[in-house]
Amino acid sequence: MRWVVLLMAFLLPALAQEAPPPDLPPEVFRIARELRCPVCQGESAAESNSGVAVEMRRIIAEMLQEGKTEEEIKAFFVERYGEWILYAPPRRGVTLWVWVLPVLALLLLGLGLFAYFRPRPLPKELLEEAERRLKEPPR
Amino acid sequence: MRFPAGNTLRSWLWLLVVLALGGLFYWGMQRNPKELPSVLAKERRPAPDFTLPVLPPYREDWGETLRLSDHLGKKPVVLNFWASWCLPCYEEAPVLEATWRRYRDRVLFLGINTQDKQEEALRFIAQFGLTFPQVYDPRGRVGVDYGMYGVPETFFIDREGRVLARHAGAIDEATLSRYLEEALR
Repeated sequence: MRWVVLLMAFLLPALAQEAPPPDLPPEVFRIARELRCPVCQGESAAESNSGVAVEMRRIIAEMLQEGKTEEEIKAFFVERYGEWILYAPPRRGVTLWVWVLPVLALLLLGLGLFAYFRPRPLPKELLEEAERRLKEPPR
Repeated sequence: MRFPAGNTLRSWLWLLVVLALGGLFYWGMQRNPKELPSVLAKERRPAPDFTLPVLPPYREDWGETLRLSDHLGKKPVVLNFWASWCLPCYEEAPVLEATWRRYRDRVLFLGINTQDKQEEALRFIAQFGLTFPQVYDPRGRVGVDYGMYGVPETFFIDREGRVLARHAGAIDEATLSRYLEEALR
């Protein structure tokens, strides 16, 4: 019994962090996760508790209630902050490279590995030597 | 990797790749993460309008609420976003007050207290004896409209009501005067 309580004590806080705070629908957090928190470093508007992030979530909730789509909400923030606010860089222009380069690098790596490990036909003189040795009577 | 003797081309290629990656890394490290673009200032967009309640000490002169568009198109406007919990704001408050006193006939200074508690904002105002009008935005909604990253941030609006420049962080006297001269030109 005691270990159950202990386990709960460890697990419950972790579980509590998983679920979004009850005041805003999960949809808000799903959209906020794709937006940068302007005052933070490496945190999305869903994770941060800074004033701006809280206000951003409130704006998202309000816009959803007004019937705005996810695209319209993102456009609202891009209009004010520029594309910097999007966590995923847009798949066009200079930032397209961010998407293309890893795939290209993997492809090159695959090609390199294939070229390195490719089964090569043995050189002719080696084959001749092997044949000669096979024919040799055992010593 | 096997480097066949005499095949120097491949080793040169490797060196080039390493140098390019190193260069990219160095360039990235040189960049200031605080230097973030302001869409408003870059495109010289019209300043987003807002109507906010005026903080009590200024109501006699400025009314209960203040609408920005009522003041645009006459003089340049300096919008200063601040909060009592922001340390650099304490640094720049005396600079703003002194500059406001020098320019008050030619430029309108407007403080936007953002994401703050009213009583703490009032204490801050009393501490520095701020005489330029102050409005209250506890939610920080106007900040989002201006693409604000964090307090303190100062926006310069020209005579036509367009955003001329944005300064992030505490502003010093020289920078403030430089922007003001640009707005007054």
